[in-house]
Amino acid sequence: MRSSIPQTAIVIGSGIVGAAIAYFLTRRGIRVQLLEASAPAAEATGAADGAVSVASKRPGPMMVAAIAGVALYRELEHEGLFAGLFKSRSTFIVATSDEECAVLEAHADALEQAGVRIERLTGGALFEVLPALSPSTRLAVQVHGEGHAIGYQIVHRLLTAAGIVVDRHTPVNALLRDANGRALGVETHKGQIKADVVVIAAGTGSATLLGLADILIPRKGQLLVTERAPRLNAAFAGSIMSGRYLMSKGNRKPGAPTPARGLGLVIDPLVTGQFLIGGTREDHGDRRTNDIGAVSQILADAVALVPQLVHVRLLRSFAGNRTAVLDGLPLIGRVPGLDNAFVATGFEGDGICLGPIVGRTVAELVCGEAPSIDLVPFDPARFKSGMVAA
Amino acid sequence: MSEPDIIIVGAGPGGLAAAIAASRTGLKVEVIEQRHAPGGAIYRQPVDGVEPVPQAAAAKRRWQSLSTRFAESGVPVRTHSVFLGIDGDGTFLIDDRDRGKLDRLQPRGVIIATGAVEKVYPRPGWHLAGVSTVGGLQVMMKETGRAPQGRILLAGGGPLLIAVAAQMARLGNPPVAIVEAGDPAKELAAGLQILISPGLFAEAFSYLRTVYRHGVPWLRGHRLVSIKREGQDLAAVIEDRKGSRRRILADRIGLHDGIRPNDFGMPPETTVNRAAPFVIHAGDCREALGAVAAEADGERAGRMMAGLLAHGRHEINELEELVARNRRSQAVLARIFAPVQSGSLLDGLTDETILCRCEGRTVGDLRQLCSRPDPLTGREIKHNGRFAMGACQGRFCAANTAALMARLRPDIPAPAPGDLIGRRWPARPVSIGTLVGVPPHAEGQDEVLR
Ligand SMILES: Cc1cc2nc3c(=O)[nH]c(=O)nc-3n(C[C@H](O)[C@H](O)[C@H](O)COP(=O)(O)OP(=O)(O)OC[C@H]3O[C@@H](n4cnc5c(N)ncnc54)[C@H](O)[C@@H]3O)c2cc1C
Ligand SMILES: Cc1cc2nc3c(=O)[nH]c(=O)nc-3n(C[C@H](O)[C@H](O)[C@H](O)COP(=O)(O)OP(=O)(O)OC[C@H]3O[C@@H](n4cnc5c(N)ncnc54)[C@H](O)[C@@H]3O)c2cc1C
Repeated sequence: MRSSIPQTAIVIGSGIVGAAIAYFLTRRGIRVQLLEASAPAAEATGAADGAVSVASKRPGPMMVAAIAGVALYRELEHEGLFAGLFKSRSTFIVATSDEECAVLEAHADALEQAGVRIERLTGGALFEVLPALSPSTRLAVQVHGEGHAIGYQIVHRLLTAAGIVVDRHTPVNALLRDANGRALGVETHKGQIKADVVVIAAGTGSATLLGLADILIPRKGQLLVTERAPRLNAAFAGSIMSGRYLMSKGNRKPGAPTPARGLGLVIDPLVTGQFLIGGTREDHGDRRTNDIGAVSQILADAVALVPQLVHVRLLRSFAGNRTAVLDGLPLIGRVPGLDNAFVATGFEGDGICLGPIVGRTVAELVCGEAPSIDLVPFDPARFKSGMVAA
Repeated sequence: MSEPDIIIVGAGPGGLAAAIAASRTGLKVEVIEQRHAPGGAIYRQPVDGVEPVPQAAAAKRRWQSLSTRFAESGVPVRTHSVFLGIDGDGTFLIDDRDRGKLDRLQPRGVIIATGAVEKVYPRPGWHLAGVSTVGGLQVMMKETGRAPQGRILLAGGGPLLIAVAAQMARLGNPPVAIVEAGDPAKELAAGLQILISPGLFAEAFSYLRTVYRHGVPWLRGHRLVSIKREGQDLAAVIEDRKGSRRRILADRIGLHDGIRPNDFGMPPETTVNRAAPFVIHAGDCREALGAVAAEADGERAGRMMAGLLAHGRHEINELEELVARNRRSQAVLARIFAPVQSGSLLDGLTDETILCRCEGRTVGDLRQLCSRPDPLTGREIKHNGRFAMGACQGRFCAANTAALMARLRPDIPAPAPGDLIGRRWPARPVSIGTLVGVPPHAEGQDEVLR
């Protein structure tokens, strides 16, 4: 491990991951230059729901990382950094069919084994806690101690707190490296920029920088926001997630064919009294449009769970691209073959939850400290053969 | 029923002229209009059973001619139908408000003729109940046939103030005063009738005569700087060109600082992408030049679209010349009504002044965001300041927010209002019930839940 702390760092990408890395590096006294192709939170981070949640994570390293991720949100809220930006609430995963009940029961067991506090709700108790749910709901699993945060607000707070002035409209074209396995800096249209350390947190843009186009996949998601509906909103004790979400969300067996469009429904009550309703998972190119087919299907599913939503108006639709990795796990760690270059991307639908904890862990890695989360399962070296420096 | 080749959004003079022109080639054309009847902002029709408000003779003639030709064209109009946008697959979306139903169409061409909206600069107190736009008062008059009741104060700038004051006077309730930022009387003497069309001049003159006959004070070179609620009254503070101030009490206040294209959230023009319908903008929503230009511009758009789809010839030179002539007239009008006082109303605003009425965001909120060394983009200002994010989706605040940002941060490229608004559909809020095929309930259950 390196023992000396670098003086300067370049971070590529100012989504939540890049912003969090930049924040934690700055806190360690490192001078950070944050290079951004367009503007902060312009990509996935600005088009995400924002569940800070363990509820839907697949058992294993992602569930463990998410538990640490939620805990850090709480800690930073307590410290004041995230004051007012983290809404504490439960997640309710609901099942309406036999198949969903079975999947949900198994998932609830896994959550319990990981030490997450949950409760199973059925019958009268279920509708007492969630009066807005459709009477056809059979089972709800309440996952306690979760929350919600809006990606672009977190980015803004991190950058403001660290006093970072982002280099907007400055896409990085390539990494510069010497013959001895060290990164020298980066190449931009404004010229070369050098630093002691380079960190790639460029979301889908990381694919070109690393030569991983076959491994990093843009996965589009369509998301909807409603007008304010405070009364109905107040009847939500937390976010409602369809049990089907568990089947749609990267939990397919490796090797299983990718459906053209998956739909995992989450209805998230916002502090404003609005609802965020989403979303799709679509693996075809990087279009970011909304189509009426997807939108009306999302809404039909939402209304099936919460019938009173028919009285609320849709305000906006939007779409973003998650960065998915072929094997379903993010890439966090040293770029193989480059001593002083790091990458953190591939968070698919979990980057809002994981962004801050990953930011802290990458800063620890850069400075040779013990990492807050175990990075072994996420080691980019597993795709070594494809990578730029290999 | 076969689907239309061309859909025209908006049944004002621009949209109707476009429909007439486009249908001449035999293409199937349809007009959709959110209101109960065609007419648009200028020829707004009264609701059933109401006597129409008397209109200037020239305007009446133009409407008669246009509506007759439109009726002869046989082009159908769907009323109470709101255009929501064109989705990512090129599907044209309509909120059919009568039936609480969503219509999806696949036209090959779309002409957007959604007219203009009023510009209103923020002022302290402009968000109070009882304050509306002057155009809003006019629409109410045209639809109900009655003048707004009580003491009405009209303030801002431009010819609409006089027109509405005259219409109110003819309906028996002249405003207590007109506060006009420019000093048109000084310029009128300069032989302006040569510059603007004789029709417009006659119209303006007749309005002025009515206003004078009713003794309505026309306070030129004045501006309304703030409004306060005092018991039953709205108290407006008026500043003259020397800077001295006085108060005028009113029951209602209408504000109007000009008009601008109503292209908020509308799909941009495109005549290249074959996977999606061609889109052309027409009338005031392309460039706010008034009713005569809108009609000519609509005809231009209709011919162009027909030409694009039927590969026919389309002659538009003389129409472009007519539009250009109106552009020159509007420029003259703008000069005549140019504010006398130097300095923008935007500069002197208190931090507490509301910028975004939907979300209650203030001038101070924007100043704070812009005070950081980090040069935020329009989208970041939207996200972090919640500007242009409310139910009106930026119609009221995006232009003012962008203009104020440009003044606060001259060092960074000024955002366009569109950067704040974005172009995501729906362009208007739409009931989820409509989108999933459950018509909304008749009774006021919505109110209880919202
Ligand atoms: C619809 C949807 C819903 C979601 N819901 C949730 C949720 O509920 N909970 C959750 O935890 N996560 C959710 N996510 C996932 C989350 O948004 C992402 O995992 C997270 O935002 C990824 O952050 P990032 O910083 O890695 O990437 P991005 O936010 O994509 O940021 C990457 C940045 O890098 C910049 N960039 C790219 N290439 C270059 C280059 N060459 N040079 C310079 N800059 C470059 C980009 O412009 C961009 O700003 C959702 C995502 C979507 C799309
Ligand atoms: C308040 C006001 C007062 C004016 N007064 C005068 C005047 O006195 N003299 C003058 O020459 N000009 C005046 N103008 C300008 C004049 O109205 C226009 O020049 C003329 O009406 C423009 O014609 P148009 O067809 O472009 O738009 P409009 O006449 O405005 O027609 C647009 C139509 O589109 C409809 N529409 C808008 N959005 C949608 C949607 N999403 N879905 C379905 N339908 C939609 C509207 O209901 C409207 O009927 C005024 C404008 C305003 C705003």
